[in-house]
Amino acid sequence: MGQIEWAMWANEQALASGLILITGGIVATAGRFTQWYFGAYSIVAGVFVCLLEYPRGKRKKGSTMERWGQKYMTAVVKLFGPFTRNYYVRAVLHLLLSVPAGFLLATILGTACLAIASGIYLLFCFSEWNVSVLESGRITHVQFLFLFMTYMM
Amino acid sequence: MGNWVVNHWFSVLFLVVWLGLNVFLFVDAFLKYEKADKYYYTRKILGSTLACARASALCLNFNSTLILLPVCRNLLSFLRGTCSFCSRTLRKQLDHNLTFHKLVAYMICLHTAIHIIAHLFNFDCYSRSRQATDGSLASILSSLSHDEKKGGSWLNPIQSRNTTVEYVTFTSIAGLTGVIMTIALILMVTSATEFIRRSYFEVFWYTHHLFIFYILGLGIHGIGGIVRGQTEESMNESHPRKCAESFEMWDDRDSHCRRPKFEGHPPESWKWILAPVILYICERILRFYRSQQKVVITKMNKRGFSMEVGQYIFVNCPSISLLEWHPFTLTSAPEEDFFSIHIRAAGDWTENLIRAFEQQYSPIPRIEVDGPFGTASEDVFQYEVAVLVGAGIGVTPFASILKSIWYKFQCADHNLKTKKIYFYWICRETGAFSWFNNLLTSLEQEMEELGKVGFLNYRLFLTGWDSNIVGHAALNFDKATDIVTGLKQKTSFGRPMWDNEFSTIATSHPKSVVGVFLCGPRTLAKSLRKCCHRYSSLDPRKVQFYFNKENF
Repeated sequence: MGQIEWAMWANEQALASGLILITGGIVATAGRFTQWYFGAYSIVAGVFVCLLEYPRGKRKKGSTMERWGQKYMTAVVKLFGPFTRNYYVRAVLHLLLSVPAGFLLATILGTACLAIASGIYLLFCFSEWNVSVLESGRITHVQFLFLFMTYMM
Repeated sequence: MGNWVVNHWFSVLFLVVWLGLNVFLFVDAFLKYEKADKYYYTRKILGSTLACARASALCLNFNSTLILLPVCRNLLSFLRGTCSFCSRTLRKQLDHNLTFHKLVAYMICLHTAIHIIAHLFNFDCYSRSRQATDGSLASILSSLSHDEKKGGSWLNPIQSRNTTVEYVTFTSIAGLTGVIMTIALILMVTSATEFIRRSYFEVFWYTHHLFIFYILGLGIHGIGGIVRGQTEESMNESHPRKCAESFEMWDDRDSHCRRPKFEGHPPESWKWILAPVILYICERILRFYRSQQKVVITKMNKRGFSMEVGQYIFVNCPSISLLEWHPFTLTSAPEEDFFSIHIRAAGDWTENLIRAFEQQYSPIPRIEVDGPFGTASEDVFQYEVAVLVGAGIGVTPFASILKSIWYKFQCADHNLKTKKIYFYWICRETGAFSWFNNLLTSLEQEMEELGKVGFLNYRLFLTGWDSNIVGHAALNFDKATDIVTGLKQKTSFGRPMWDNEFSTIATSHPKSVVGVFLCGPRTLAKSLRKCCHRYSSLDPRKVQFYFNKENF
């Protein structure tokens, strides 16, 4: 499975999670469940994730099929700058976004799915690191810091 | 419009029946839980969402039964074979197995959403009625004990005031299996999108095996008996219609009504999925057994292997990947004593395979084969006139057919129903297909020798042309053989004009049934399908075009 760009699957998974968060949030808010305000958060987080993930990123190898109407979204997404271009940031962002939704049963499914998407993005990042270390024989500062921290823990 | 109906009536009927059954099951279960006295008290706490959840559950059972059937390839092949007396239209439906599998999957997703949302409301209602201290009917029902000594006749699964719904979800069998099943379903769906399937097949293939968790979860989902209805005995003793109003007096000694007793609904999902699961297990065992038989490579030979034209096999190379099976069309004819496939490097697995075979000093890797499986090309010889269109690598099923024709001629087979074949080969450049060129050359010679030059009419279209090639072709216009391919038939440049081709065929064969076979991209399928509809006459006795597409 060497040539897989996990980021493509993570993108699909995150988009689905966004929709699930929105649905769970609407159910919780409309039904006025206990602690329904988490539901309101979930709707906002879901919309944000959907908007962020809708433009499909360009693949490294081969052609990428754009989603319908993607170019309008890309203009908006680019405004967020470094948050959107970097997959490490996306992975951490999704993990953080998924946590508050985990307090409510209606949205816990969204949490699980978004956390999985975050995990797949991280998998992509690690596979990229391995490739870059193998290719250049050198390790970057960030990678060194991360390995050092893991070792210390 | 008329032509569309004639060609697709069976698909439409099948889908209508399937949708109708879904609607019927949903409405039937909904009414049962909404009206039955057995669930009177349950409805007092939960309302209509009980009926919603149960109705979607029944539809989920029904669709889970159906989902495994279209992917039992061997079963479908068997049905194709035994139904040779069935009409063409019925057998064509077996080609659409994957489309049906996807439709059923979408229906499962829809009903899962309904089921989960309904149960979220249910859990919330249970939680509220457990918290309620107002002495209402709901709160009294909720306080019915979980104590086994008193018969375990509880209604509300939330036992105490402090239990949260999240706790109940993750500690009850129904809740836990529900969560696992849903996550498995979501992962299967996201990895099965067109883009992921085409670009990273392995992700799709391995993730899709999560269906095992889905099926296991479904089997044990209902074991806890969380859906409670009043027992028969309790209903005879104190019928809800009589006793519900006087709930404050249930504990009085002189009251006619006693506290109601409840029992769980027994699990029934396993009854729905047992048969398809057994069929699927048999299918996998059969595939495994067939793969274990010895395959001698460099001309592949396998004991007990027999094929028809245009079929495909699944190939596995354990040294590259233990679990991956990839489909390839057979390019040899049934009359030959070996079978062959032609593989194009299009991804990890194929590239690794080609590299493994190119190794000069290591032994040839072991290959496992499963199949053959039948698709539309088998039907070619059922048509009087056949139009074969192969785009690029899609020419492979037709290699098998053309070779078979060659052998049939050699044996002077008079049972051949086919009287004329039009073959269109469209590709960017012929470099990769020199093996096919040789086949066409030998066929040309064969036709000439037998004096049957008119039987096979083939046209080659090069879509990757440039002015150099065209200039060269123009200069050599009067040569007997084509400069690009060396064949007698001249190569055309650019794409075929289908309208012209179809109208020529329709005029030359005004009373025939013409089968159009395509192995190629979707856009081409669309234009060919349109032409088939346009040039088929409404009168069933005149020329009819039937369209068949290969899909993997």
